[in-house]
Amino acid sequence: MEITIRNLSKHYRTEGGSIAALDRINLQIPANKIFTLLGPSGCGKTTLLRCIVGLEIPDEGEITIGDEVVFSSEKKISRPPDKRDLGMVFQTYAIWPHMNVFENVAYPLQAQKKPKDEIARRVAKTLHFVQLDGFENRPATKLSGGQQQRVALARALVAEPKVILFDEPLSNLDAKLREETRKELRRFLTELAITAVYVTHDRLEALSLSDNVAVMKSGKIVEVGTPWEIYFETDRRFVADFIGRVNFIEGSIARMENGSVIVDSGIGTIVCDRKKNLPVNSPVTLGIRPEFIKTFYENPGAAENTFRGRIETLVFTGDVWEAEVKSGTETLVLRIDPTFPVKTGDDIFLHLDRRHCKLLFN
Amino acid sequence: MKRIFWGIVLALFMATGALAADQNQALADKAKVEGKVAFYANMTAIAPIMADFGKKYGVKAEYTRLSTTKFIATIMTEHAAGKLTADVLQAPVSVLQYLKDKGVLASYVSPSAAGYPKWANTDGKIQLFGIEYAALIYNRDLVKPADVPKTYQELTDPKWKGKIVMADPSTHATTISWLVGLNENVIKDDAKWMKFLKGLAANDPMFVASFGPTPAPIESGEKLIGISMPKYIITKAPAPLEWAHVSQPLMGSPRGIAITASAPHPNAARLFVDYWLSREAMNTLAIKVGEYVLTPGVYPPISGIDKAKVIPIRELSDQEIKSWGKEFKKIFARP
Amino acid sequence: MSIRNPGTIFTAPLIAVVGFLTVCPVAMLVLGSFSEGLGAFGTFTLAKYATAYTDPEFIRIILNTVIFTTGSAMVSTGLALFLAYLNNRSNIPFKFLFSIISIVPMMVPHILFAVSWVLLLNPTNGMINLFFRQALGWEGIVFSIYTLKGMILVEGLLDLPIAYLVIAPAMSSFDVSLEESSRVCGASNIRTLLRITLPVLRPAILAAVTLVIIRSMASFAVPSVIGMPGRIYVLATHIYRVVATGYAADYGLAAAIGMSALVASITLIFVYRRLTREGEKYVTVSSRGFHPTTIDLKGARYPLFGIVGLISFVLIVLPVAVLFYTSLVPYSMVPGVKAFAAMSWKHYIGVLKDPVSLISLKNSLLLGTGGASLGIVLSFFVAYTIVKIKTKASGFLESLSFLSFSFPGIVVGIGFMWFFVQTPLYSTIWALLVGYIATYLPYGIRPLTSAFVQIHGNLEESSRVCGGGALYTMRRIVLPLLVPGIVSGWILMATMFVRELSLSVVLSRPGTEVLAVQILRFSEDGLWGSLSALGIMMIFISTALVVIASFAGARLTSVKN
Repeated sequence: MEITIRNLSKHYRTEGGSIAALDRINLQIPANKIFTLLGPSGCGKTTLLRCIVGLEIPDEGEITIGDEVVFSSEKKISRPPDKRDLGMVFQTYAIWPHMNVFENVAYPLQAQKKPKDEIARRVAKTLHFVQLDGFENRPATKLSGGQQQRVALARALVAEPKVILFDEPLSNLDAKLREETRKELRRFLTELAITAVYVTHDRLEALSLSDNVAVMKSGKIVEVGTPWEIYFETDRRFVADFIGRVNFIEGSIARMENGSVIVDSGIGTIVCDRKKNLPVNSPVTLGIRPEFIKTFYENPGAAENTFRGRIETLVFTGDVWEAEVKSGTETLVLRIDPTFPVKTGDDIFLHLDRRHCKLLFN
Repeated sequence: MKRIFWGIVLALFMATGALAADQNQALADKAKVEGKVAFYANMTAIAPIMADFGKKYGVKAEYTRLSTTKFIATIMTEHAAGKLTADVLQAPVSVLQYLKDKGVLASYVSPSAAGYPKWANTDGKIQLFGIEYAALIYNRDLVKPADVPKTYQELTDPKWKGKIVMADPSTHATTISWLVGLNENVIKDDAKWMKFLKGLAANDPMFVASFGPTPAPIESGEKLIGISMPKYIITKAPAPLEWAHVSQPLMGSPRGIAITASAPHPNAARLFVDYWLSREAMNTLAIKVGEYVLTPGVYPPISGIDKAKVIPIRELSDQEIKSWGKEFKKIFARP
Repeated sequence: MSIRNPGTIFTAPLIAVVGFLTVCPVAMLVLGSFSEGLGAFGTFTLAKYATAYTDPEFIRIILNTVIFTTGSAMVSTGLALFLAYLNNRSNIPFKFLFSIISIVPMMVPHILFAVSWVLLLNPTNGMINLFFRQALGWEGIVFSIYTLKGMILVEGLLDLPIAYLVIAPAMSSFDVSLEESSRVCGASNIRTLLRITLPVLRPAILAAVTLVIIRSMASFAVPSVIGMPGRIYVLATHIYRVVATGYAADYGLAAAIGMSALVASITLIFVYRRLTREGEKYVTVSSRGFHPTTIDLKGARYPLFGIVGLISFVLIVLPVAVLFYTSLVPYSMVPGVKAFAAMSWKHYIGVLKDPVSLISLKNSLLLGTGGASLGIVLSFFVAYTIVKIKTKASGFLESLSFLSFSFPGIVVGIGFMWFFVQTPLYSTIWALLVGYIATYLPYGIRPLTSAFVQIHGNLEESSRVCGGGALYTMRRIVLPLLVPGIVSGWILMATMFVRELSLSVVLSRPGTEVLAVQILRFSEDGLWGSLSALGIMMIFISTALVVIASFAGARLTSVKN
């Protein structure tokens, strides 16, 4: 089910006035896709999620789920959370400690006063779906973190909600389990073809799990797109920085050529693909991700974007060397093939891929 | 045996008082219509009297017990709100005096009080019927007969140091009145009286809140002697309590009874006062509770009380009690 | 504004109800303290305040009161922490003892408990002093009860249940991962206890300390039975002396003095609220921490148990034994051959034949069960408002709930009388019921707020999202998780109501007599035997109530398997 958010604002009163947790947000969340709200803590993503689900009441605006208006400050509509037909998985899982697995999962159906045999059938089906068959009578407190997470998922799914919402559900799991669960979750959600709204501050989670990502900052939506678009296409400094590792190089426009922008910078003259027209001499920030900087011991002889550098630090992470390389007045972070015999202090050549030298704006 | 004898005399007396009985009958009939009587008091173990009254006249007597410190506060609060449910009040005479001044009491002179002393009713409203007498009470197992004081002054003997219990003389109204009464009736010389007080203070008595907690430390032997009430000899029997038969008179605050002006059951109230003052009821009070009553010839069954001189002390005004309390606080302060 | 608080609508009516219950009597006292004469109404005067606060003795009394109340709070909170920790978090043997120890002083009439200690520790022939002198040849007095130390000891023991019932639920629902992470960091058990456990429990500890200080400020039994013979006066006995001197007791003056207790209590509550405002920081029940692991005491197991055994001996066995002994002997006797020969059941028979005692048994039982149940329902809503709806109004509500609680008992009773006499409830059993609930509301509210604070908001929210309405969520999620708090609160209230004296002595009338008043009558008449017999029966009733409540609580919290 599609979710439409129009002009949504929410303010929190503080000692010295009020701060906008949500600042006139407009957002279209497509049906039957995994949609992620990504942003640093305090950006308003959880507040937005809680407004959708009905746990917070916005000050202004309108929220429509499917064709039903669940909140509208103008029409004075505010459906309570229990009347919105949603499912939600909390960061803490919020598994009720005084109930066993069956009771936890059966709860939404019991609240709807479904007949007993139907409840039993649907709970069994859902538990099977999340691979918790046979756990029915296990007390909720005797479960591992991963199992609790699945109980929470089963509970959110069992009543076949219009939309399922996730509030950083993986942050309490250890790294390895998180990765597995992420894949599993994507499989579950794709299989169900259900609208899912997912809140996280973890870019990897956002990229690998979502169909669409909205990046938030200070109560505003900064950018919306597919993970690929967000990662590669953004021209916003904040988004580029938040979604992955990126080197920023300050400079100014030297000239514009056909298809190219020539930038003067601390490491030399850099040639980038031209996407916009910019006045000559205007200051720019150029962003390039570490993976698009290649390293050589010998000058590769390319015509452009080749610079000299010296390795300042090296960190071995298994799959790569993570290196800091000083070139001109800038220090760049880049990755070097782990089998490449490098050491600190080595002089090397760098080559920047012009397709990935992005001009970024605030 | 003497009690039984008096009981028989009483029964004969009642049976032959035909005229009185006639009047009594008319009152009793009206009272029966009213159905009940509410009695506010602070007395121990008067349940039998209430029960006997109910049995005799078919009028239910309800006893509301109010401690002395809350007596006036409660009555005045109910009175001011127009909700005073009491028909008959019993209290130390000073309390009734206060209530009389506030217009709470009605006039009534009971025929049963015919034989009582004249001073027991001076205003036609408050009828005195007993004396809340105090004495030196000691532990007869632990105090040798030779050591028992023969005068109040002997209490100042240093041999009693740390062995005396008494109610706090800076706050306990009855004890304050008693000490002042001692000056007015027994140790009339002010200097000698002051010497007595200072000597008593020098013996460092243990203070408790009121008379109620005085006998326990004497019984248990924590203390040996105290200024307390002889009635405990009866109510706490078989505790080894005895009163010191001093040569001087025993003293106490008079107890009074009165009807309220706004009594919801005025006839039952009169009938109850008549019964209360009767020999039958007073006899119960003396025998069961050890009270000293003003009915001629009725004494509590405590050895020697019938021979003792028991006198009422002057009622101190509230102001006097407070100023004497302050005075005693200074005298009894630990150095 | 947030949707998880459908209870916002409760706030106004709750403030109205709680305000009405607690403000009215206190307002009457304020009126009385400013008026000429002895009632609540009269011409305006400041004379009573002038008299009250120009008394040169007053500074000494305040000092004694401060030492007495804080001392008692230290004793009871310290003991409560020790017992609650061992009970909930260690493998100490015979755990059932703990819940008994912590409850017993709740059930013994305080005046009797104090008297028992006098019999044990008075300097002349107190049994313990005698034992040391005769059996061990000790010179002089081991410990005199008639001192400030003695008062603190006994009051501290008497208030232990309040502290324990506030701290224990918090201790048992503690998120064990906090402790585990500390231990993982290499900290020892003791270090973990000092650096993690106690700070996390800070709200509960502060609540306990606040509650005990306020309670001991209003307490009268210990200051009168132990303090007065030692001529050590605190605020409550000072007020008594003011009231008791003379026949026309000036309760306006008493109220004027009592105002200082009220101000002190309100200040304390304010400080307490300031210190615990960041409630979220201490949300410690998560789904994972519901069953805390226990700490192996190893070699310390039996020595620690020895200490607990000693405490329970001193707390339960001694006073109850003294009480039982007193109920069997004809008068106050030092134990010995003579005393044993004289023992009989006559006091019990006397009490059971006494119609007033029987009525009071019945009334107290009714007031205890009915009053506590109603009181818990009200406390539940108040606690919910205080914890979950954090508005200015809810803070106001919490302070309100302490109003009549913090007034010294002798005075608050009069306030209620002045108030009730204006209503048709006067001289009915409903006056007692309403008065009890109004005065002792904090006994219900405190354990419940502690319990509420520890239920993570997500547990409720997820029920709402799952389609449970506000009431459905309350019934199926909030209430079951609150059971330990509800049981604590109910026990505190029920046992308090069974032994309530301050209000009862003013408000009870023929037909509405209650146990404590009957016990007071016996004590006024010096009838220690009957008093002890009735006291023992009272302990039986309270024990029965506690057992039933704990059993019901255990049934309700057991996770179905």
